[in-house]
Amino acid sequence: MAFDVDKYTATSVSVNWDDLDLERFHEHPLPEGSLRTLRYMADVEYHTVCYTRDLLTTPSHKEADMSAFMTMWNREEFWHGEALATVLGIHGIVVDFDEIKADRLKLGWKDKLDPIKQSIAGKLVGTDFVAVHMAWGAANEWSAITAYNRMAELEEDPVLAELLKRIARQEARHVAFYTSQARDRLAKSRKAQVLARFALKNFWAPVGSSIMERTEVVHVMGHLMGGPEGRKGARKIDAAIAGLPGMEGLTIVEDSLNKLGVAA
Amino acid sequence: MTFANGDSTTHFPAGSDRASPARFDVRAFARSAQGNHRETLRLDEFATDPLSGESLRAVRYLARLESGTMEQLRNLLVTATHKDARITAFLVTWAFEKFWIADALDAVLEANGQRKSHEAAEGSTRRSRIESVERRGPIRRAITGLIQGVPIIGVHVTSGLVDEWITRAAYDRLETASANPALSSAISTILGVKARHVAFFDHEARERLADDPRAASLTRRSLERQVWPIGAIDRADDDRSFFESFVFGSDEGRARAADIGRRVAELTGMDSRIGDAVARKLHA
Repeated sequence: MAFDVDKYTATSVSVNWDDLDLERFHEHPLPEGSLRTLRYMADVEYHTVCYTRDLLTTPSHKEADMSAFMTMWNREEFWHGEALATVLGIHGIVVDFDEIKADRLKLGWKDKLDPIKQSIAGKLVGTDFVAVHMAWGAANEWSAITAYNRMAELEEDPVLAELLKRIARQEARHVAFYTSQARDRLAKSRKAQVLARFALKNFWAPVGSSIMERTEVVHVMGHLMGGPEGRKGARKIDAAIAGLPGMEGLTIVEDSLNKLGVAA
Repeated sequence: MTFANGDSTTHFPAGSDRASPARFDVRAFARSAQGNHRETLRLDEFATDPLSGESLRAVRYLARLESGTMEQLRNLLVTATHKDARITAFLVTWAFEKFWIADALDAVLEANGQRKSHEAAEGSTRRSRIESVERRGPIRRAITGLIQGVPIIGVHVTSGLVDEWITRAAYDRLETASANPALSSAISTILGVKARHVAFFDHEARERLADDPRAASLTRRSLERQVWPIGAIDRADDDRSFFESFVFGSDEGRARAADIGRRVAELTGMDSRIGDAVARKLHA
């Protein structure tokens, strides 16, 4: 089913938490492990606009629908960061733009070279590369939904669960966009399928891997995708990815969990 | 990752913008972002008081410039500018607001029986040797950005400021030329939204130019050769010529360009040579 970008832009809002009693965290604070996961999620959400840079270095930015989607997508993700930062703030964990800047500066050369590598690859393979990005984006957004829903399930706190569910609902629309784009573009081009399969199989890693310390990635993946239930969620993401044209049999999420040493 | 000990009585992310009180509050800006304007636009009035062809052309061109945020973001984010979380947070809301400014201009076009700006045919871009460097793609931008490092942020915010001055001149000219109350009202809404973009770029540009001589020298070089307004490089040659003559062509227009040149010259680290170079290009 085609994704209606006009409808999406007309209804895109920043996630709302005014009606939620976040003050209850003063009385019922979240455990430290959960705060650590939330901090990771907030950083990743704030970083979304930087992923846009990678999307934009390919021919996709010439398309009006894509631009419209990305504008709203960026803003929704930014507000997910703000929502999580508010929860963290109540726990005394300050998420400050200047501090995030300092963390980003620490990323160093790998991150600096990324846009160059992406652009060169984008130039080489042209519009087929957009399909790769869309498949990649779909995998990331599926992961995000699964992570938020899983955390809502794990936490016994009803207010946090509600906030995370609201965020996950917005992520669901992002999934719809990326999958509809990926499906169409992959279906049209065998070359795009080969490229996307190669890129996902060899380079995909859980969202945030390129911007967070490995210890944090291991913590978050262990928290949200560890154990039998966590694995079940991971397999569902893999099944969804494998459902895209040319991606049959890929198990990139499970593979990455195994690589990180996250127990099943 | 730091887990700082904030004041537990602070309810909103204590981090906000804690530095100087005069600092533009990016979080407050994001919280009060202005979206869809269609309900407040006086679109019905165009049925009895339509815009001239010239005004419509200016509206279409401005809509295309306003909606060019993703191209602009690409050029900015492949450099060190993406490291500055405060700037990227601003740009997220800035792009959102500009999306809806472009939509308001599209609504004006539609109310005048025209197609939306990105649906209408557009001529071919201007090909000039001098401009070729501005046409450089993300790969070259990323590589030079690597060498230039953090001072490039100063270039980006100063260009943003000068661009705001230029588009402001265009909206003012369009408002006078069209003498149409419904369009004036739309322009006033748009300028209201843009006022905060100007405030951000103004504050950031002045601070960075004053703080870092390398930012100032990179900015001198960049302003001198830049194509104005930002995004014009991707637009049709004939539309650019129209815009240059419509906004800056007459004696009054030249005075407008000279005024922008003077304001550029007055920025820290700039001088009349840079100001004149910007002004000259406006009515190329």
